[in-house]
Parts: sequence; C-alpha cells; structure tokens
Amino acid sequence: MEDSIGGSSSNDNNIIKEQDRLLPIANVGRLMKQILPQNAKISKEAKETMQECVSEFISFVTSEASEKCRKERRKTVNGDDICWALATLGFDDYAEPMRRKSRTKIQEASTNQNDLC
Amino acid sequence: MSDAPASPCGGGGGGSHESGEHSPRSNFREQDRFLPIANISRIMKKALPPNGKIAKDAKETVQECVSEFISFVTSEASDKCQREKRKTINGDDLLWAMTTLGFEEYIDPLKVYLAAYREGDSKGSAKGGDASAKRDVYQSPNGQVAHQGSFSQGVNYTNS
Repeated sequence: MEDSIGGSSSNDNNIIKEQDRLLPIANVGRLMKQILPQNAKISKEAKETMQECVSEFISFVTSEASEKCRKERRKTVNGDDICWALATLGFDDYAEPMRRKSRTKIQEASTNQNDLC
Repeated sequence: MSDAPASPCGGGGGGSHESGEHSPRSNFREQDRFLPIANISRIMKKALPPNGKIAKDAKETVQECVSEFISFVTSEASDKCQREKRKTINGDDLLWAMTTLGFEEYIDPLKVYLAAYREGDSKGSAKGGDASAKRDVYQSPNGQVAHQGSFSQGVNYTNS
C-alpha cells in the first residue's frame, strides 16, 4: 500500500508527489505565455488546470502506445509508436507534424511553431 | 546514430528539477520550448507495464506533442478572453477551450479538480484540498478504471 496522504503529511512529501505526478508549473506557464498577447495574464488556477491536462494527455497517449508494444511483444516504446497512438486516438493533426519532423532533422532544428499551428 | 543536432543539452536529460528562469546557455532555449524530459519520462513510465522501456525518441516526441498541446489549448482560451475583453485566463476558459477543440473526455475529471481546488483555496488547507482533489480526479474517469482493468487482463492474454 502506497503512503496515503494524511492531514499531517510533511510539505516535502507533498512536493515530491507533486513533482512526480505533474510537470513543473513554471515551465507550463512559460509555454502558455508564449502563445498569448503581451498584455494577457494567466491565473494560477489556469496553470494548474493545464498541469493536470498535460499529465493526463501524456498518460493517455503512452498507454495506447504501450498496448501496441504489448501486442507486438516489444518492450521498448519508440517514437513511431507514439505517432501511431496519436493517430489512433484522433490526434491526427499532431501525428502528421511529428512524422514530418522525424524525416527531416534539419527542419526539426529550426522549428516553425507557426507551421504546426 | 545521434539524434541531437549538435546541441549540448547535457543538463536537459538530468533528473534535476530546475526552476531557474534565466540561463545564458542553449539549455535556456530548450527549457523555453519544451517541458523537462525527465518529468515527462516519469509520467510516461506510470502508463507502462513494469518491464516496459521508453526509447529516447519516444520521450522527445511526447515532449514536442505536449508543448504543442499547451499552445493549442491556451491559444483557443486566449481568443475567448479577447472576445470577452478579459485579460486573465482562468481555469474555466481552459475547460471551454478543450471542449471546443474536441477534448470532451477530459472535462469531467477536470471539473472535479477545479471545484475542489477552489474550495481549498485558502492557503492553510490548499495542499490537503489539492491532494484529495487529485485523488478524486484520478478515480473519477471510468475510462481510466476500465483501461487499467483491461490492462491487468491483458497480462494473461498471450496469444495476440
């Protein structure tokens, strides 16, 4: 049984669990900011909501890729499995840019975020 | 064959949790564009069987997807705020954006999360509230429970 979170659990434990489960809020906030107009602000609530979204998204895609590997009796999930999972789960718009990037490393080096959008 | 196009991101793959915002290296650029690969890897591992492994290109692929996902949702929420002449994006704007963009499946768990988050907004009990909220969120989606069920059943299924 995993350590249950009681009322008196130390902050360190909470912080560690937070780090384990979610991506850092500062990085998430920075990525959100990049797409916003200059005078826009992001509430802390929005950043934390996005943290949850992103972790869920990663788990969702990785689970699908993992299932494919299991069927094919492979132990290692690779980039193609992720692209396949994205397409399978309906994220076709993501899968195609990923495949393009896989083919041309030079293009990857000079990422065109606008093209992806 | 090396994947990295001559970028010295030795620190990028490390397990350190850097919250520094200013770094004069190319590492800063990497941090600016993507989320830390170690954290992403940790989340991916939880979705795998115990003996599963993750190739580096899989981690990098998810790294890029996640940044794109954040930009995608945030941009939609931002448009809504501009139409309504508000400057601050809040949690509801993100939920609305996800619904608009076709991520309905995420909405119910996130609403539960948001409600509990707001209840526990006082600083004293924020941690506890968040913790219990996140646990609830994790248990709420039936899809996820079913998925885990099929996962354990899959262990017995050897003739694919």
